[in-house]
Amino acid sequence: MPVLEVVGGPGRLSRESFAELWHFREVLWAFVVRQVKVRYKQAVVGIGWAIIQPVLAALVFALFLFRYSSVPSEGVPALLFTLAGMTGWTYFSSATALASESLVTNQALLRKIYFPREVLPLSGALAGVLDLLLALGVLVVVTFAYGIGPALSWVALPLPLLLLVVAAAAFGNGLSAINVYYRDVRYALPFVLQLGLFVSPIAYPLSVVPSSWRTIYAILNPVAAATDSLRRIVVHGHWPDFPVLLASIGWSLFLLLCSYAFFKRLERGFSDRV
Amino acid sequence: MTDAVVFENVSKRFRGGQAYRALRDDIVGALGRVVGLKRGSEQVVRALDDVSFSIPEGQSFALLGPNGAGKTTALKVASRITYPTSGRVRVRGRVGALIEVGTGMHPELTGRENVDLYGRILGLSRRDVRSRFDEIVEFADIGGALEQPVKQFSSGMQLRLGFALAAHLEPDVLLVDEAIAVGDAGFQYRCVERMRELVQEGRTLVFVSHNMSAIESLCERGVLLDHGRITADGPARDVVRDYLRQVEASLVEEDAARSVTGGGLAIVDVTLHDESGGRVEEAAPGRPLTVRLHFHASSPIDEPIFEVGLNDGRIGPFALASMLIDGQAPRSISGEGYVDCTFADLPLLPRVYELWGGVRHGAGFGDLVDWQRLRFFRVAGEVDGGGPAAVSHSLSNAPVRLPYRWGFGGGVSN
Repeated sequence: MPVLEVVGGPGRLSRESFAELWHFREVLWAFVVRQVKVRYKQAVVGIGWAIIQPVLAALVFALFLFRYSSVPSEGVPALLFTLAGMTGWTYFSSATALASESLVTNQALLRKIYFPREVLPLSGALAGVLDLLLALGVLVVVTFAYGIGPALSWVALPLPLLLLVVAAAAFGNGLSAINVYYRDVRYALPFVLQLGLFVSPIAYPLSVVPSSWRTIYAILNPVAAATDSLRRIVVHGHWPDFPVLLASIGWSLFLLLCSYAFFKRLERGFSDRV
Repeated sequence: MTDAVVFENVSKRFRGGQAYRALRDDIVGALGRVVGLKRGSEQVVRALDDVSFSIPEGQSFALLGPNGAGKTTALKVASRITYPTSGRVRVRGRVGALIEVGTGMHPELTGRENVDLYGRILGLSRRDVRSRFDEIVEFADIGGALEQPVKQFSSGMQLRLGFALAAHLEPDVLLVDEAIAVGDAGFQYRCVERMRELVQEGRTLVFVSHNMSAIESLCERGVLLDHGRITADGPARDVVRDYLRQVEASLVEEDAARSVTGGGLAIVDVTLHDESGGRVEEAAPGRPLTVRLHFHASSPIDEPIFEVGLNDGRIGPFALASMLIDGQAPRSISGEGYVDCTFADLPLLPRVYELWGGVRHGAGFGDLVDWQRLRFFRVAGEVDGGGPAAVSHSLSNAPVRLPYRWGFGGGVSN
């Protein structure tokens, strides 16, 4: 018979945390499925939103930035260039936002039943993956439409996608915990994400960043590394810059671990404070 | 025997104040502390204060106490919905909990999905859950609503499904709060029956309720909590008795005889006397009791109509002595004096009663002194029959004791 022991005081990240999360993997999956269903159930266009959002944003950027300014687009059609950027960004921003609201949205659940609380932000980050894949499908279709065919480098696609998910989970996890204590997160996050859109090479190429800073910038900003890799792979048919991409994945995993530890430290207060 | 639930020096403190803070407030607070303008003076509420007890496997255990004593917090700590500030909690086996209406349910999920989810959280396999599914649906009696989100359920349906989930998915430890009191009588009966079944199967039950009869008849052991501390621990019946006595005592204490006035007349004191005329604080059951109303009339009053009633907490007196009925009003009263009302051979069960009184004008029967509660009094003695809820039932039900006996005809085996 399982014995559960709880000692008072703040919680902390331990080996048991991972074992428990594994034990609750089916619950995590149930939440992911649920969020996907709930998100589109009451929307008329339904799952179409996953496509409309990045496409419209890419159109707007392509139109204004490239027609009326002189930002370089790496020698590919402007729409293709921005669409590749928006595909990753749309996922990252909406998954981060969904994850960071997850504890507050599900407060009724926090007060009524036990499960490891990180299941909620993690499911928020994972629920967006379906959208990401759909948007990626659109990108591929547009790529074909411009007469660019698939390349061997496409086998590397999972890496930037993984990077995006890890990064969204890292930010979403930490922000969701802070959001329980300070609802300021709710108001600050859209603004910060908007800044993030301009701080990341979504509507401009990574090459705009001065070369002495480029590598460290692309590693520390996971969205930059992911976006640049996506473009290289799909649009140009090249291999991504592996050292930068892998370093950024490592950095994001480190961030995720830190935010997980931070989350576990605050977790015990959630049901009392939410 | 191993223990199913162990609390070791468990304390739980809540910081008072608003539920969540704005960053601004914390920054201002921190700055204030740094500059020395203002001390951190947040109010700390101790929901549990150094609580230790252990519940052996298979025991039926009750937590009693007034509102705010920490009972629900204890259940929440045992089910890991909230965490202790200090101390150690150990729980052996799967925990099913019904703490509030909707415990364990996701409002957006359908009834069916909730059954699945709860099973998964408890660590049951899909097959185990499925095999219990019909039983749960039948108990919850939600038939057609199974495919609707739980948020569209009525609170009664949520309650039934919540209890069915907690009590039918093989819990080793079942935690039940007074939430079931929200259900109708039939549902409450089925809940108590189900809890009894689980106890008989050797599961552990932790029950929180204000229904003393249910506790007395269902539980072996009780712990009384008050302001987060344990004040009694023992056989459920004894703890129920202690608790009810304590409630009575606090009633009597907080509301001793008071002086009431109106229309130039004051009832300054109400005293009790036995048959020899000596003053008493408790009435003896089955003996005469005299209620003495001490009055002060600032000017003479003609034909004041005195009334005295006995009440056991329900609406209206269950016994009344009224000069409006018996016509024995004095011709006149003035200055200081008293009026005695003697009840012969008080046929009341031992517990606390309310003594009500009022005085009317002889002409037109308008109130001189409003009809109101004058004091509490206790009928001494102990009732302790052999019935399953002897203590709680006799302390909370019909007050008048009539001698009775049971007889049996055909078709009764005895």
